[in-house]
Amino acid sequence: MSGFEEWARQATDPASADGKPEALSGVRVLEYCPGHFGGMVAASVLGEFGADVVKVEPPGGDPLRRVAPEGVSIAGTGLPFLSEARNRRFVTLSLEEPEGRALFRRLALSSDVLVTSEPPDRMEELGIGYLSLREEGPGLVYVCLSTYGVFGPDAGRPVKDSDILCQALSGGPYIVGEPEGEGPPQPHQSPTRLGNWHGWFAQGLWAAFGALSALHFRAATGRGQLVDISGAEAVMMFADYNITWMHTGGKSRERMGNFDPAVFPYTYIRCRDGHTFMAAYNDEAFESLMNIIGRPELARDPRFTPPKNRVRIENERALLSILEEWSGNLTADEILRAVEEYTSKKSGPGAAVVTGRVNRPLETLSEANWRERGCFRQSSDPVYGELTLAEPPWKMSGTPARWKSGCRPPGADNRDVLLGTLGMTDEEFRRLEAKRVF
Amino acid sequence: MSDFREFAEEALDPSRAAAKPEALAGIRVLEVATRIFGPATTDYLGLFGAEVIKVELPYRGDLMRYVAPEGFFWKDVSPAFLALNRNKLHVGLDLHPPEGKALFLRLAEVSDVVVENLRAGTMDEWGVGYLQVRERNPRIVYAANSGFGQWGPYSAGRASYDATAQAVSGFSAITGFPEHPPMKAGFWVGDYTAALMSATAILAALEARRKTGEGQMIDLSQAEAMIRALDWTWPYAGRTGKDRPRAGNVDPSYVPSGIYRCRDGFVAVSVRDEEERIHLACALGATMPDEAGIATQERVAAFCAGRTREQVVQAAEGEGFSAAPVRGGKDHYHDPHLRARGTVCEVSDPLYGNMNEYGPAPKLSESPGRVKWCGKPVGWHNDRVFGELLGLPAGEMETLTRKKVIGKWADVPGSRPPKEGTPP
Repeated sequence: MSGFEEWARQATDPASADGKPEALSGVRVLEYCPGHFGGMVAASVLGEFGADVVKVEPPGGDPLRRVAPEGVSIAGTGLPFLSEARNRRFVTLSLEEPEGRALFRRLALSSDVLVTSEPPDRMEELGIGYLSLREEGPGLVYVCLSTYGVFGPDAGRPVKDSDILCQALSGGPYIVGEPEGEGPPQPHQSPTRLGNWHGWFAQGLWAAFGALSALHFRAATGRGQLVDISGAEAVMMFADYNITWMHTGGKSRERMGNFDPAVFPYTYIRCRDGHTFMAAYNDEAFESLMNIIGRPELARDPRFTPPKNRVRIENERALLSILEEWSGNLTADEILRAVEEYTSKKSGPGAAVVTGRVNRPLETLSEANWRERGCFRQSSDPVYGELTLAEPPWKMSGTPARWKSGCRPPGADNRDVLLGTLGMTDEEFRRLEAKRVF
Repeated sequence: MSDFREFAEEALDPSRAAAKPEALAGIRVLEVATRIFGPATTDYLGLFGAEVIKVELPYRGDLMRYVAPEGFFWKDVSPAFLALNRNKLHVGLDLHPPEGKALFLRLAEVSDVVVENLRAGTMDEWGVGYLQVRERNPRIVYAANSGFGQWGPYSAGRASYDATAQAVSGFSAITGFPEHPPMKAGFWVGDYTAALMSATAILAALEARRKTGEGQMIDLSQAEAMIRALDWTWPYAGRTGKDRPRAGNVDPSYVPSGIYRCRDGFVAVSVRDEEERIHLACALGATMPDEAGIATQERVAAFCAGRTREQVVQAAEGEGFSAAPVRGGKDHYHDPHLRARGTVCEVSDPLYGNMNEYGPAPKLSESPGRVKWCGKPVGWHNDRVFGELLGLPAGEMETLTRKKVIGKWADVPGSRPPKEGTPP
């Protein structure tokens, strides 16, 4: 282990995060995103960096708690909610009640950031919209999450924001999946959704990024602002070079299965134990790969050089079958070792032969590397039991991000937040509780 | 139009952005990165006003310059490179010779952030890593982006691209159709997702620095970034001992929400709650609320197959469920909504003329992001950065150029400026 690696491990190992300061300590985030995963992601990310997050649910619990793929649910809460319910306090409030709205308003004005997926007009009607809040709290950063955004010709479209809507509009699925072949199209020959909620995840991440940019601006000026996040646009930012190519060449990305219009090989290849990723697209790396598979003469084959010829679809297909002739008898690990052995003697562009097994989730979980890096947590809770969760991905030397607490039942922190944070009296708490304000 | 809508149309109007302040003004970022993961990280910061100095190896520069769709270069630049390198200052600087290292450390002294995505430990080996920079500038926020992190069993020797992260994280295994192989996303999602996480952590670290005066190192693995993005995959595996199956185009959390084929393309149908499911069932022919069960994948598929995308969207808006067309780059380019929002925007560039780009996703009312200029040839801003910012005398720059410590573009497409007479 090099001196630097040793230092990096010692300085950033999440196992030693406890007791270190947090980047966003002193920042309060109020989350009001019923039924919405993207808003939870935004608040979680800020919470992982140390913000004090208060999540407001309707009495009885957030509708997202009832979303339970394959019916798997623990104490009335499904796995999607449980996967993102970290580092926050859980408060219930009925916004149907005037006292509930008043409390929400007080909470919002005591916060630095409000994250909401509720339509702005509804928030205005309730008296807790941006325009009225900023009158009293000009420093508030108000982050609004939706499908289309809050302005522009489509902003008024009546949709309930969801991952699939954001994905569909983003241009992501448009370039994922098998193209149609000859004959009637098969169901799988379609624009294909990313299997996770990547639309919602990207929306939440951009919301966290937008909130932090706005806090940075506020530190310099004292001014808060409105941050408008469209989930469709969130993933759109990841959809490569569509617009520059359209503008200059009149073309945009189309779906090509596991092939690619700009780089090849850059694909999944079959191997003895499943599939593995294989990339070697610049000339020097391609030559390295042809040496690794024992076919050095192919580096000069006119089908595969210059790179322009290598990205013709018929040549990509030909190259894929050549690669699979070689890989079919090897395991993904054997392929990785062959690549590492060769590239460790090279440097620069010739070393850019890149591979990695296409892991099933249980395979990823079984690899010691991720455990050693602190990527997963086994959480334990009297209500929600044992859960396997992804840890924050950042290893930071000064103010490490960290997982601090898991899901709690709806309203579990009402007393703590309303008495402790808002300074409500015990008597008032009991009065409002009896009125079912929370 | 509601008061809020009226306010938003004006406050977020992208044509007013140029006159407003920038959120990250005053933050200087040094990029030592190639391809996507690092360059996208700084691109996001640059869109919101950080000054990004992109350090490239003289002559050939960032290898992303030669990633060209179907081998297509426009005015000798790849459209794929342009999309990742807006608002940057480009310098050609070789970090191998001692003079190159010294110059880099001088730049780091006057910077707030370093972003790199070389193989783990490379910058340290070269004498320009976090520990060396920190000695000169303890306020530096240093983002080390990599495939597998700066330490741990996989950190040494393993290179990584976007699809490495897609593959090893489990992301591809849950994407695609059950009876078919795992599907690689056709766009570089494993780079961009991690890049956005890196940029977000940098902002958090800058916030921490405001309180403590100290910078820090951020070690981010793109594989670990993708692991974090897989929502209920992990508790499901832990709870059931099973792999979450590939579910094709239906979202297993909101059946029958999914992507469906229509007469003229594809459409997403979405039902997030029982109310929307009942409304969808009505559109499918149900007459009573208790018939919501007829809203099956098969019925929705048949409903969409006979209609256009627009007809499905209209049916959704009329009946009270949600739908949206599946759109691609061509649709985006011509979409008046995205144009009005500046999500597809025009840039007037001094070198390339009129260009169109994706603009920033978050829309900020007071300090909006913006695309100010396009990516440039290698070393385009050498004089500005080495001369004006560092105050290097012309003679010294000439010497360093002769010694190939600093340099400009190679005379090849991808690296060089447009040749005269190139059609606009």
